[in-house]
Amino acid sequence: MSALVLKGIRKDYGEARAVDDITLQFPDGQLTALLGPSGCGKTTLLRMIAGLEVPTDGTVTMGGRDITHLPAHKRRFGMVFQSFALFPHLTVRDNVAYALTISGTSRGEAARKADTLLDLVQLTGYGDRRIGQLSGGQKQRVAIARALAQEPEVFLLDEPMSALDAKLREEMQVELRMLQQRLGITTIVVTHDQREAMTMADRIIVMSKGRVEQAGTPQEIYHWPATGFVAGFIGRANFMDGVTQDGKVMVGDVALSLPRPAQFLNGSPVQLVCRPEGIRLGADTSSVNLVEGRVTFVRDLGPVRDIYLDTGLGKLVAEQSADQSRGLALGDTVRLSLPPDALRIYPGHGSAMPATALAAE
Amino acid sequence: MGRVLGRLFMSMAALVVALPILIVCSAALNGGRTMFFPPQDPTLARFGEFFFSEPVWTRALGNSIIVALGSATLAVLLAWPIAYALWKTGSRQSAMLAALGSIPFALPPIVFGVGLGFFWAFLGGLGSIWAGIISHAVLFLALPLVTISIGLQAIDRAHLDAAATMGATESITFRTIILPQTLPYTISGFFFALVLSFNEFIVMFFVSASAYATVTLQIFNSLRNGYTPTMAVAAVAFITVSITVFAAVARWGDLPRLMGADQSRN
Amino acid sequence: MTVAGHIAPLAEAPWPPVIRRGAVVTLLLWAIVLVLCVVPLGLVLAISFGHKVEGAGWEWAFSLQNYLRFFVGANWPAETTSLYLGQLYWSMRYAVVAALLAVVTALPFTYLMTRQSRRAQARWLVFLLATLSLSEVFIVMGWDIILSNNSGLPMLFAATGVTDWLKETGWFDVLREWGLANPRNVKFKTSEFATVLTLSYLVWPYAVILLYPALSRLDPSLAEAARTMGARPWTVARTVILPAVRLPLMGTTLLLFVYLLGAYVAITVFADPSQHTTAVSIYENVRGSTLNAPFGAAQSVILLVAAGAFLVLGQRLSRMSRAGA
Repeated sequence: MSALVLKGIRKDYGEARAVDDITLQFPDGQLTALLGPSGCGKTTLLRMIAGLEVPTDGTVTMGGRDITHLPAHKRRFGMVFQSFALFPHLTVRDNVAYALTISGTSRGEAARKADTLLDLVQLTGYGDRRIGQLSGGQKQRVAIARALAQEPEVFLLDEPMSALDAKLREEMQVELRMLQQRLGITTIVVTHDQREAMTMADRIIVMSKGRVEQAGTPQEIYHWPATGFVAGFIGRANFMDGVTQDGKVMVGDVALSLPRPAQFLNGSPVQLVCRPEGIRLGADTSSVNLVEGRVTFVRDLGPVRDIYLDTGLGKLVAEQSADQSRGLALGDTVRLSLPPDALRIYPGHGSAMPATALAAE
Repeated sequence: MGRVLGRLFMSMAALVVALPILIVCSAALNGGRTMFFPPQDPTLARFGEFFFSEPVWTRALGNSIIVALGSATLAVLLAWPIAYALWKTGSRQSAMLAALGSIPFALPPIVFGVGLGFFWAFLGGLGSIWAGIISHAVLFLALPLVTISIGLQAIDRAHLDAAATMGATESITFRTIILPQTLPYTISGFFFALVLSFNEFIVMFFVSASAYATVTLQIFNSLRNGYTPTMAVAAVAFITVSITVFAAVARWGDLPRLMGADQSRN
Repeated sequence: MTVAGHIAPLAEAPWPPVIRRGAVVTLLLWAIVLVLCVVPLGLVLAISFGHKVEGAGWEWAFSLQNYLRFFVGANWPAETTSLYLGQLYWSMRYAVVAALLAVVTALPFTYLMTRQSRRAQARWLVFLLATLSLSEVFIVMGWDIILSNNSGLPMLFAATGVTDWLKETGWFDVLREWGLANPRNVKFKTSEFATVLTLSYLVWPYAVILLYPALSRLDPSLAEAARTMGARPWTVARTVILPAVRLPLMGTTLLLFVYLLGAYVAITVFADPSQHTTAVSIYENVRGSTLNAPFGAAQSVILLVAAGAFLVLGQRLSRMSRAGA
């Protein structure tokens, strides 16, 4: 069941189109991540959900009610801003209690609720501190507590981790996720960090240039990227340009097989993607999709190694465990195979019509 | 809705602000000697009088220009070493120097005008055009001081370090890096001082001691006799100069930044 | 600059001449600034203790006679007059009211302005700076026409029937009480209303310019956060924006107040002679009809002290509120 639904949302700024025809549902109680590079429209989309911007076209409905033109202060959506936007002239407690204070709750009641929330975000006793005295992580917790004070129907976060340093970021991702699960509140997080999205989200919406590239669970997005963009944006990917030939793909002189014959017209330009961990090094001659490669660089990260190879398919990076790649050195020649199951195929640059589309004509 | 109200409010405010100025400018078109609004017998004859035929006004205009150009130049020349010293050393003395140099601008001009009047009387320069130029330069010193300081602050210290590693001495660095980079701020300061000098009359009153007059001083002196449309021509001329000058600063410089906004944003 | 310090001696003359040149320039600068900026003020102070002599002259002296005259009048102890004190009162009264009026109306304008694009802000600034720099004589000229009893607003009121409407609804009598109407029609010239209006108008662009830095640095996400927590526009203004600009507001009001203490033209044109200010009196004494330079100097000193006192008070207040914050 989804209470929050977007239909055909579009946002234009003069000539520029920031968001182009987006239709999405946000399942109740789940954490959805809006993921994409900067400028892809994810923050604009979040702001339209919050009511801080009005869509040029389309509707936003909550529980069946059309709230597209409802101003922000009439929606009960709590929001955490990238800069946290804490009020410097109020104490921590007064900040957290703000929504309650202005809606007429008595001072005592508001203070009590604020303190409960501060306990929830593990800032017990910080109520009387001033904002200027807090660290980045503490500010974030206050911002979270403050947004939750009005018991919102939807919880929105705009790049909540970007103001924190790397180590704290990882800790807070887990903590925030656990908090969200405890409260069971519908949450939307905007981020450009795919690891963050993978860590926290029930569902990821990958966006690019104002459009949705793919919507799915982290596993789906990672293992079955719908487009070349998603494949490159999430995790790491080796890209190979090729041409279809009788169901296989010719990359240079090498013919690569796919799990199922490629559903493209012969001669269509396509792009193949293989994740570094999918490449098998030291394969025996009976393997499918076999090539030879020369090691040009080894990045030793401890438990795993990145092996950079020059092959007949172009430059590839393979990820191997330390054990598997023991003995591999610069300049070595190895045999490697790209198992068909590890390959994904996408239309190449320039149009490539799938055979099915042609058949329908 | 809120946005519409906001726009409306700003437009109304702008209208109220512009109204007296528009009225004054339109009064320059009056045919007779009285200031009527709306203008009666509209004619451009007053413009001719002001710029060409009436010696009272042409001389006053000449004086206004001389004093304005001279004092703005002098103000910039004086402000530069002070701003530079303040930026280079940041010492208490240079801060004090800058503060003292800004005092004339912060005071009610009538007080400073009185003081300068006495000052020039003692020095013997009372009534000379030079006294007027120097007086205005000192009065408006604060303006280029502030704009040049803002410009100097905007300089990336890394540039100076890079120049030093390539063998630049202090004077070379000043000539080739600091001056060019702060040029827009220097020019802005010059123009601010210029425009304000054009319009200033109180200090001018005490310092010129009836020996000569600038345009605004002439108008001020004629207050008792009432305004004439020819004076309104001066208003048109001056507001045109102001708008041109500030528009030029906005076009080639960063006006919001000069006025105190932070960088980037919007 | 340490590296330059090492390299410089190779590129130009050895150290000592450079230091000497720098020191000479600094000395020269100090001399210029002290002579031109400080000495005139010192002169005003010194002359305020002087004596007026026959004709237009005066002589050096050390007497507090002028100050005494300011507070209790020239013929003390035979008779006391608070004429000069009264002028100071009017100076402050006009300045306070006009400054407050300007700041209160400039605040929402400036806030809205800073929410617009940088380009729009630049355009507004050009407009404001141009009007701000326009000489007081022109401003007063314009308002003189608008408020003129024969051809300005009063005439407009009479012609359009507003005067009659005012008479019918009884508002006319109220205006008469306030000194804003003659038996026949409304009258604005020489009234406190006209004076304050013009003075306020005079400093309004200045108020916007002074409030501009603080308001442009206001983080918009603060107001947005408040909105997402249910605050209506007026609540946002009251609880988020105003507290953030409290200090600049006070500072601006003070600066405008000090500036208005020295206003001259607007007062002489729009204020009744019985409500004239110290600035007007100073003018009369130093170069005008009453020609008593030492007394004028004394008035200047007192005006300066009054302005200075308010500035110091403002500093105190801001330091106090910052400490408490």
